[in-house]
Amino acid sequence: MQNRDAFSGYHPAINFLYFGLVLLFSMCFMHPLCLGISLACALTYSIYLRGKKALGFSLAVLLPMMLLAALINPAFNHQGGTLLTYLPGGNPLTLESIVYGIAAAVMLAAVILWFSCYNQIMTSDKFVYLFGRIIPALSLVLSMTLRFVPRFRTQLGVVSEARRCVGRGLSEGSLLLRLRNAAAVLSIMITWSLENAIETADSMKSRGYGLPGRTAFSIYRFDARDKTALFWLLFCGAYILSGWAAGGLYWRYYPTMRGTELTAFPLSFLLAYLALCLTPVILDVREDRAWRSQSSRERGAAER
Amino acid sequence: MTPAAGDALTWSYVLAAGLIAFTLAVARKGTSAPPPPQISRESSGLSRRTIAAAVMILLLIPVTIFIGAYYLDDRKYYFIALLILLETMLPFFLVFEGRKPQARELVVVAVLCAIGVAGRAAFFMLPSFKPVLAIVLISGVAFGGETGFLVGAMTMLVSNIMFGQGPWTPWQMFAMGLAGFLGGVLFRKGLLRRSRSSLCVFGALAAVVLYGGIMNPASALIWTHSIEWDIILAYCLTGLPMDLVHAAATALTLWFLAEPMLEKLDRIKTKYGLAS
Repeated sequence: MQNRDAFSGYHPAINFLYFGLVLLFSMCFMHPLCLGISLACALTYSIYLRGKKALGFSLAVLLPMMLLAALINPAFNHQGGTLLTYLPGGNPLTLESIVYGIAAAVMLAAVILWFSCYNQIMTSDKFVYLFGRIIPALSLVLSMTLRFVPRFRTQLGVVSEARRCVGRGLSEGSLLLRLRNAAAVLSIMITWSLENAIETADSMKSRGYGLPGRTAFSIYRFDARDKTALFWLLFCGAYILSGWAAGGLYWRYYPTMRGTELTAFPLSFLLAYLALCLTPVILDVREDRAWRSQSSRERGAAER
Repeated sequence: MTPAAGDALTWSYVLAAGLIAFTLAVARKGTSAPPPPQISRESSGLSRRTIAAAVMILLLIPVTIFIGAYYLDDRKYYFIALLILLETMLPFFLVFEGRKPQARELVVVAVLCAIGVAGRAAFFMLPSFKPVLAIVLISGVAFGGETGFLVGAMTMLVSNIMFGQGPWTPWQMFAMGLAGFLGGVLFRKGLLRRSRSSLCVFGALAAVVLYGGIMNPASALIWTHSIEWDIILAYCLTGLPMDLVHAAATALTLWFLAEPMLEKLDRIKTKYGLAS
């Protein structure tokens, strides 16, 4: 499969580690600046990956979702010290609950955007490759399921064509007859898929499935570039985690909002977080630039 | 001994017991004869693996809650819940891996998952009107609780690979897997009968109480990160219409599909001598 960007050309373990870290941090850190960084980076990366589609998705789906999430919290949560006004039901409306609602909305949007990037990068073959060693049987089930779905679709076409040829097509006769024909096709499909499955299993067995000493094919290689990326991700992750453990990313919403002062140390944690989140975008931009300068140089050489 | 130390001692006992249960769950099954393909009402005993998995579920969860409440911020309910979820699912997956399933079993599970995924894809234009739960329940009834769990969890995982992963994936996997597991166990226990009405009632109940009862509070937890009963209640109430549609879809599918499909699965089991 063609790589969508430079980052998806890295080893699946690197991709998975990156998304694991970013998702964990996005869900964990409720510091407003962390949330802002996460959302901005997720938006940048998804726009880089999917272009205008990502922007449309954010505006059409994410914004209403964010609005809903931001409204729900102050409507039900009445904690907080800064009283703004009273709701019609008699409950207080506080500044803190509004801000917390917005923060939760930003977190939600960031997580969903990160997952949309994840869906682009972590294709099923990478997932199966990563977990094939740890859970071989289940990842085999996973890849077979992924294979069976298009296979069923093809067979469905074959069966319904054959049925049409004998005058029992899905678009002939009364509604009742059509439903009956559809049910027959479904029944045929289920029987066929089960029988076919047993045949597949016997074929696997005769080819030595489950015997010791068999290796798994893999197309991925862990090279020097991946090693650098691994060290970088681990460094950033450890640095940010230590910053979190030291209280550098502390922020409390209730009863009054307060966080650590933005001195050099907390700022460095935030910068590390920004760098971590932007890693793939930086890699992509660098790759694009190298590619462009390379091709322009070649063009120049051709003109000369 | 101070109360705190006594507390810690109690918890360490719990942890040790959990570990033992874990080993029991993962260890290879002894040389007991495979259960007959068709379960009669008399042989309603659960397998030792099932019991071990259940014990582990009941033990590891308190440990997680304890550790989470002590070492994480008390507000991180989301992570405690997520960890519990993964711990609950782990024994099923590990037991499945640990007993080195035969190719035939693997492929049948994959086919059942693929039917579920295709069913979810076929009804993509009708939100929450999905036949997945019905297919998972049928798998649980036909092949036992553990296979039901696997089919449910893997169906949700694979269909989310196609339709988009999100923070909801583990919850959906768990809810669907639990429905399949309960279907299988209750059928083996003889509480759930193979009759149409019994299956339909159970399917509708599972859609509303089990699936809805897990997914609605879960979305409250995912979206707001806190446990406020008002918010959870609001989510449950707004989710109820969707759950009812889901229940109707499940009951309808079971009404038309359960008997022919169970018949087909039985035929496969008899023809090819598939155990369990």
